[in-house]
Amino acid sequence: MSDAELTALQERITELLREPRALSKNDQAVALAELHISGNDRLAPVEQLNIYREQFWLRHTSALVEDFPGLGGVLGQRDWERLVEAYLLKEAPTSWTLNDLGHAFVEHVEQQASWLPHAKLCLDMARVEWGYCQLFSAPDVPALDGGKIAAIPEHAWPTATLVLSPALRRFQVDYPVCELRKAIVKSRDTGETVPIPQPDPHNLVLYRNDRRLFFERVSDAAYALLQRLDDGEPLEEACGSVASEIPGAADEVEANVAAWFQRWGAETWVVDVRTR
Amino acid sequence: MTARLGCEDLGIGVGLRVPHYGYVFENRPPIDFFEVISENFMISGGKPLDNLGRALDHYPVVQHGVSLNIGGPEPIDREYLTRLKQLVRRTNTPWVSDHFCWCGAGGAHLHDLLPLPYTEAAIARVAERAKMIQDFLEVPFALENTSSYLTYNASQVSEWQFVSEVVERADVGLMFDVNNVFVSAYNHGFDAYEFIHGIPHERIVQIHLAGHTNVGTHIIDTHSGSVADPVWDLYRETIELAGPVSTLVEWDDEIPDFPVLLAEAERARTVRDRAIAARDERVAQGGSPAPTRTKSLVPEPTGVTASDGAGWVQGGPREHATV
Repeated sequence: MSDAELTALQERITELLREPRALSKNDQAVALAELHISGNDRLAPVEQLNIYREQFWLRHTSALVEDFPGLGGVLGQRDWERLVEAYLLKEAPTSWTLNDLGHAFVEHVEQQASWLPHAKLCLDMARVEWGYCQLFSAPDVPALDGGKIAAIPEHAWPTATLVLSPALRRFQVDYPVCELRKAIVKSRDTGETVPIPQPDPHNLVLYRNDRRLFFERVSDAAYALLQRLDDGEPLEEACGSVASEIPGAADEVEANVAAWFQRWGAETWVVDVRTR
Repeated sequence: MTARLGCEDLGIGVGLRVPHYGYVFENRPPIDFFEVISENFMISGGKPLDNLGRALDHYPVVQHGVSLNIGGPEPIDREYLTRLKQLVRRTNTPWVSDHFCWCGAGGAHLHDLLPLPYTEAAIARVAERAKMIQDFLEVPFALENTSSYLTYNASQVSEWQFVSEVVERADVGLMFDVNNVFVSAYNHGFDAYEFIHGIPHERIVQIHLAGHTNVGTHIIDTHSGSVADPVWDLYRETIELAGPVSTLVEWDDEIPDFPVLLAEAERARTVRDRAIAARDERVAQGGSPAPTRTKSLVPEPTGVTASDGAGWVQGGPREHATV
């Protein structure tokens, strides 16, 4: 067997191991296995190949269950399996790490929305759960340096830009997905049935602080300010934009911006301040 | 070649797994070293690296990988290797290992350890890459014999001849998994002792021991349960042949409390000490340190294990986001 023949065989086997059904009913798989795989007195060649196919599905569906427990809980076993099977058929895992397996799952949920029960909730949950996955291994950065902040002169603050943590994600969701996710995970131990919640549109921040993951609801004004700061707008300009664009936000921003900044620094949402 | 590529004997270790973090960090159990799955820590930040740091504060840590895909059609992933080297610098691991296998083709990664046909083309492909990887990482690199559930009609040599030829040609180490020898001997009907006697013992940098799951038609390398008695016999023979080699007990499915794992590690220590004493005794009597091959074992079906072994993941539970 030449190197080219080995490559061709590996490519064909890779395709077959992604098949969702047992290979013994697949004529092409049986023929390939008979040609290339030895078999023994206990297992036919195609049955030996099928051991690896079973492991492929078990391993990857398990990883998605770990990464999207809330979505699985909302959908229930049958619809979850349908969703995951379609995903793994469409999206071959390509990364060396299973942490990347769900990289296109949000998009997939969006595309499958026509048949998904509670489709809007499912999409919210998928977005937030993928956010958790991203936060889990996001880069470590030093917390805000109090000494550096104290040394910034007053006149430099209006044009200062704030650097948000790479371990922070913002979402606008229509359902209380984080609370629901916690309840679903807990119900695995208690066996309690978790009801589908009523819509509850809100702004959400997921973040990592001291190695732990947290979620927090924020107001429209705070959310918009975080977004503008993340886009690199200087502090004064960002505050002004939010105050003028969101009805009633001017008073809220003026009253809270100092407290927000203090808290966002303490919770490591803001990790640096850059002055011009 | 320097014996074991200069890799020292670290003694007896176990795999560092998520369910044991609390116990290990609180009690600092008497274990000589830990092994980590490299890919779990090839990340930019977060809790896993914090836990790794806590382990490194008190123990030597060696790295073992599962996703290198050394036998796949595509060139080795440079980004993967770069991250692996970054982790090598963080852990100061005395060696790095992965598997004689391929993990996918055509751009897909199956996250499995698929066996290669034992052919000249496969030997050439793996040996060339192993040498390159060792040069790049700047630490000794070792490859592990895998458990397998199929063999290829195209194979021209035995698995042990394949393994030996690759490590000799690439001048790399051998991560020798004794349980995998037993599993594959059962699945493919070869003599486990012939395998053990047929490899270059001076290239073994580390040994793996683990439990397995017999489903009747085949054995799955689940790393579940205690090491089986015939595997302990094979381990004893390996140590008599190779001398003192760092030995690690893996337990990745139905993971017990740490003291149970520690007891299994202590059993490995006892078996190893006795094997080394037997080897020393032979030398003292003017004989060869290595025993001649007198045993034979082609494992026969003897009943199934209670667990079905379905869905296990090498390296145990993943580190993932829980809130």
